[in-house]
Amino acid sequence: MHSTASHPRATRLRTLALAVALALGSFAAQAEEFVVGSQIPLTGSLARVGNGMLEGIKVAVEVFNARNTGNTIRLEVIDDESVPAKAVAAVEKLAADKVVALSGGYGSNLIGPASEAAEKAGLTYVTSGGVSDELTRRGLKHFFRINNNAGYAKAMAGLFEEMKLSSVAIVYSTKDATEGLAKAVAADLEAHGIKVTLHAFDPAITDFKPIINKVRLQDRAEGIAMVGYENDYVGILRAAKVLKPSSVKAVVGVWSLATAQMAQEFPELMPQVYGTAMLPFPVEFKSEAGRQFATAYERLYHKEPDYLGQFGYVQSMLLFEAIDRAAKNGTLAKGGLSEELRRTDAETIIGQVTFDANGDNPHFSHRMGQHQNGKVALVWPDAEATAPKQFPGVPW
Amino acid sequence: MTELILQSLYSGLLVGGAYALIALGLALVFGTMKIINLAHGELVLLAAYVAYTAESQFGLNPLASIPFALVIVCASAVLVYLLVSRIRVNRELNSLILTFGLGIILTNAVLIVWSANIRSTSSAWLQDAVVLGPLFSMRSEVVFFVLSLALAGGLWWWLSRSWYGRAVRAVSSNRDAAKLMGIDPVRTELVSFVVAGVLASVAGVAIYSSSVIQPALGHALTIKAFIITVLAGIGSMPGVLLGAVLLGVTESLTVTLASSALQELAGMVLFLLVLFVMPNGLFGGARRRG
Repeated sequence: MHSTASHPRATRLRTLALAVALALGSFAAQAEEFVVGSQIPLTGSLARVGNGMLEGIKVAVEVFNARNTGNTIRLEVIDDESVPAKAVAAVEKLAADKVVALSGGYGSNLIGPASEAAEKAGLTYVTSGGVSDELTRRGLKHFFRINNNAGYAKAMAGLFEEMKLSSVAIVYSTKDATEGLAKAVAADLEAHGIKVTLHAFDPAITDFKPIINKVRLQDRAEGIAMVGYENDYVGILRAAKVLKPSSVKAVVGVWSLATAQMAQEFPELMPQVYGTAMLPFPVEFKSEAGRQFATAYERLYHKEPDYLGQFGYVQSMLLFEAIDRAAKNGTLAKGGLSEELRRTDAETIIGQVTFDANGDNPHFSHRMGQHQNGKVALVWPDAEATAPKQFPGVPW
Repeated sequence: MTELILQSLYSGLLVGGAYALIALGLALVFGTMKIINLAHGELVLLAAYVAYTAESQFGLNPLASIPFALVIVCASAVLVYLLVSRIRVNRELNSLILTFGLGIILTNAVLIVWSANIRSTSSAWLQDAVVLGPLFSMRSEVVFFVLSLALAGGLWWWLSRSWYGRAVRAVSSNRDAAKLMGIDPVRTELVSFVVAGVLASVAGVAIYSSSVIQPALGHALTIKAFIITVLAGIGSMPGVLLGAVLLGVTESLTVTLASSALQELAGMVLFLLVLFVMPNGLFGGARRRG
């Protein structure tokens, strides 16, 4: 009795399974896999930031493929070893491998020649790793980026103006992107009546005491702006902790500073230091898209996401969505991807993104974070703030 | 302005001490065996990462990690020598290629093991300010400057007074003649590499204690050490110390009197100027006359 009754149910189950299998089979037949290339520094001087961005790109692949849009993305990665000539070679190899577009690149000096190589191959190149103004002055048709110097300068200058300081010493690395940013911040501050002194330094220097001594004895500045990279910040802050310039009320840096890693690795140097930050630490996302990114990131890497991953994720998701749209409307094979990407108008986890004729994102504006009690709080602009800023305040 | 210049001279002196520590090992091997060990900077870096591991994993002060760094770096130096010693033809040139390759391997090994993140000591004691009137420095800089002087003195004594030191000099002068005098050149050269490893160990811990380390740093350290070695005059230990301090002070004064953007350029101008006036380096001429 029992056995006879189970027969019709088993038949129904088999029929259902067959139907599902057929449906999936037909769906799989329609789905197409697109290969996206990534030329990115995984070794050499930019290894840390390159690896950070790649994590975000891989999360984007994971999230996009899980959406079941009918198309999937596969990533082909080549390490450019932080060398411009190898970045060009990587792009040429990826073009030869017939990738449909490129997402990656770090450092304006690498992105410049790499994106020119992509342009020659007719490949769309999207990045968040190069903020130099020169990159978008070249008039390339296939070059896109989601962040720029203007957005960083606006945030740094905005914070200083809110503090109502009378003078700021800008200590900056002579690299292309940092020099451009330092000069943009200087122009903005001077336009608001703040006295600015500029101190350029060679990227190879490790002892910042002679520079900070000038700030202490000659400039007597109320604020120090650091425009460099992590190793520079550590050197500058250590020199400042030794020399203790008494006039200084705030120390403000730019990228890679207001991060969980810096809070954990250099707890004695970071208290009350400011830096650009898209996320507070511990990470807290208000939007559903942000939470989706954070969940996927934590699942893949077992750690909290950082800004490098966040930027890598956004640039890649916008590219993958454009590939999907272009594939569906039949323009992908006819070189229509860049045009499709240019039509982007999306609210993302770094804010609104659109692209102008030069591939730049005119909406990009950063936020400022401050190290407070081992955490990073967003303190500027007011609309994004998670805590009031601790001002005046310096690590010494 | 006086205060600025005094601080600049003091900073330059301390930086010079650190440069000397990095360069002494390279100068020893270069001076005695005519081998430019292009992996020397990576050996220094390896010692720095050993200090990082000892501090972050076991809570050891970087100074206490020197014995561990000695074991690992000296073993690596021996390995480098064993590979170099297999070169039978045109050793001076071929060793360049070999050690350059070993440097790349070491850099990537460091990257794989320790990741690309920047590292530095968290020891408050080493980072504390030492104030001598108008002069400021970190304690680590003073400690390693003194250590650098002691090691340079010790090295000078070893080369000029000890049996092995004399053997090293004999092998460097004439390998075959030294062999006839009963000196084993292989063992002597091996000892040179081990001593260079000892110097690299202390240099690495010094860098970790007063600066920031990352996997790509090794190559830059080798270049700096090579500049100082040539500036000093091949094989001159006092020359290394003087050349390193001269370079440190020049760089530091450039920051104070001109711009920090010109610091590296000033170092290179000094290098070219010295070689133009004294082609054998600061102490090379005296050696030749002797």
